[in-house]
Amino acid sequence: MSGTEARADDRGAPGHRDTPVIRLRGAFRTFPGPPPVTALHPLDLEVARGEYAAVIGPSGSGKSTFLNLLGLLDRPSGGTYELDGIDTGALSEARRTALRGRRIGFVFQSFHLLPYRTALENVMLAQVYNGSARAGRAEAARRVLDQVGLGHRAEALPSRMSGGERQRVAVARALVNRPSLLLCDEPTGNLDSATARRVMELFEELHGSGLTLLVITHDREVAERARRTITIRDGRLGTSGAVAGR
Amino acid sequence: MRKRAASTEVPLSRIGLADLLSEALSGMVQRPGRSVLTLLGTVLGVGAFVAVLGLTSSATGQIGKRFSALQNTTVTLVGTGAEVVTAGGRHRAAMDFPEDADRRVGRLNGAVAAGVYWSAPLTEPKISTSPVPGPGSGTGLDVLALSPGGFDAIEAQVSAGTVYNAFHSERGLRVAVLGSAAAGRLGISRLDAHPAVFVNGVGFTVIGIIDGSARLPETALDVMVPTTTARTLWGNPLPGENGRARMVIRTRTGAAGLVASQAPTALRPEAPQDFEALAPPDPHTLRDSVSTDLTGLFLLLAAICLVIGAVGIANTTLVAVLERTGEIGLRRALGARPRHIAAQFLTESTVLGTLGGLVGTAIGVAVVVLVALARDWTALLQPWTVLSAPLAGSLVGLLAGLYPALRAAGVEPAEALRH
Repeated sequence: MSGTEARADDRGAPGHRDTPVIRLRGAFRTFPGPPPVTALHPLDLEVARGEYAAVIGPSGSGKSTFLNLLGLLDRPSGGTYELDGIDTGALSEARRTALRGRRIGFVFQSFHLLPYRTALENVMLAQVYNGSARAGRAEAARRVLDQVGLGHRAEALPSRMSGGERQRVAVARALVNRPSLLLCDEPTGNLDSATARRVMELFEELHGSGLTLLVITHDREVAERARRTITIRDGRLGTSGAVAGR
Repeated sequence: MRKRAASTEVPLSRIGLADLLSEALSGMVQRPGRSVLTLLGTVLGVGAFVAVLGLTSSATGQIGKRFSALQNTTVTLVGTGAEVVTAGGRHRAAMDFPEDADRRVGRLNGAVAAGVYWSAPLTEPKISTSPVPGPGSGTGLDVLALSPGGFDAIEAQVSAGTVYNAFHSERGLRVAVLGSAAAGRLGISRLDAHPAVFVNGVGFTVIGIIDGSARLPETALDVMVPTTTARTLWGNPLPGENGRARMVIRTRTGAAGLVASQAPTALRPEAPQDFEALAPPDPHTLRDSVSTDLTGLFLLLAAICLVIGAVGIANTTLVAVLERTGEIGLRRALGARPRHIAAQFLTESTVLGTLGGLVGTAIGVAVVVLVALARDWTALLQPWTVLSAPLAGSLVGLLAGLYPALRAAGVEPAEALRH
């Protein structure tokens, strides 16, 4: 209870409206050798709540390492990473896993849908591990499927769906737990340009509804749709784009 | 302060039992063909276990049933009277049974027939079909003194001629009935020429041949003569375990105990303690001897089947883990902890094993019932066999899933998601 009172005054406290969703301070990642490789040089980054940011860089630039750090799939070798104001470095692996499941929605290039389950069941899979009651799951899943415009395809198997539909199911799955951050790894990499455009429009809509999005891509066109573009090259961040300095 | 707030704000991931089961089941149902093939080893192993145990218990139960059918209707009395010394200084047992023993006991309620018998006190009797025996003729045969009622009491099947009766017995006539094997050895098959056998030179007219008896199987090798004739010729029975006179009583089912308690008094009201009812051989030793040899071998084979079944499940589960690396990565990204992943695959293999155990038990029970039907047995299965067999399958599945589950738990999510 004492925590709630403290939060009212503390702008950096977890979950506060003004708390940045992502705050990296001097975070870096090296892989032990021989020879040791520095995949990410110490970097600082803040992504505010409701921002729509893109991270763009060529392959081998450290994008994947960056994604893994942000997605709590990996720990930085040094520096701090606060997600929603929670210092993730201080958490046990079990808490990090829980945080990942509840606060981050992942969208992958290859969709990662289970082939033998319907769209609805694939979305419901995201609710298995966070202690939500079984009874309410189908309803919540239907709601997010409606939100991505796939309410009519709820009972379809992934094999019966187009690439764009599959990616939208994956987005629905990422959204069903109401995450703080939607983390998208090359979301249009497996889609033709027309379908990709539709997915990008969906991202616009989500951004409009206040969701924080971070899209990692090597596709300049995709990156340009974001309000803010962060470049990554040789493990170092830089900013570019019209809105970068805002 | 903040740290505490942070860790209480993020409740740990968890998975309910219902979710665990449904995730495991859907993993299995995805590839029904493979699941069925995987089950085969466990099905065979558990099925063999149940069938072997069931057939063994049915077979021994069958022996027990036959045995008790005879035992329930047979009473054997042995005379235990004092030894007496008769002419010639030879030790002989007293003749405990009165002359009319057959009738006295036969009158008892519940008794069907009774007969006195003893092995004639002759050492290596010379038995042949001619007064001057040829070398080695009829060796191995015995002379049995048997009262006329005995044939009925032992349920002798007459295959030729007839058996002697009270008429022959009261007059001490020299007549004999041969057991079928004895008749064969002596070369007697037809009675129309009134053949004779000679015991130590004393001639007997053969009036019948019997086909043996379940109650007194040794009669097949005997030359049976009336008790009165035997006593007149060779005196009282010998003392000792093998020589003493006994009485075999056939009773109606269930009357054995009653007849056993009343017969001594009916025979000799003044000295009933001179008789002892013989304990029948213990049926358990019979059963044990059946259940040890082959059963052990078959159970070993069943155990080998189970091991093969375990290897099959382990292999399939491991392949599934490797195949579903992407799925494991996804689940980890969705908040599953390594233990949740391990539990899922462990549950999958255990459910597979249990299913194999159930199918195997059903097949095993069916085999036992079918064999029992074909052989006219009563199918016997211990309840604990049927109940524990599926559990054996579960155990096999659980053990088989350990290594693949550990492998699955060790999958690095970042690595797995790159697929």
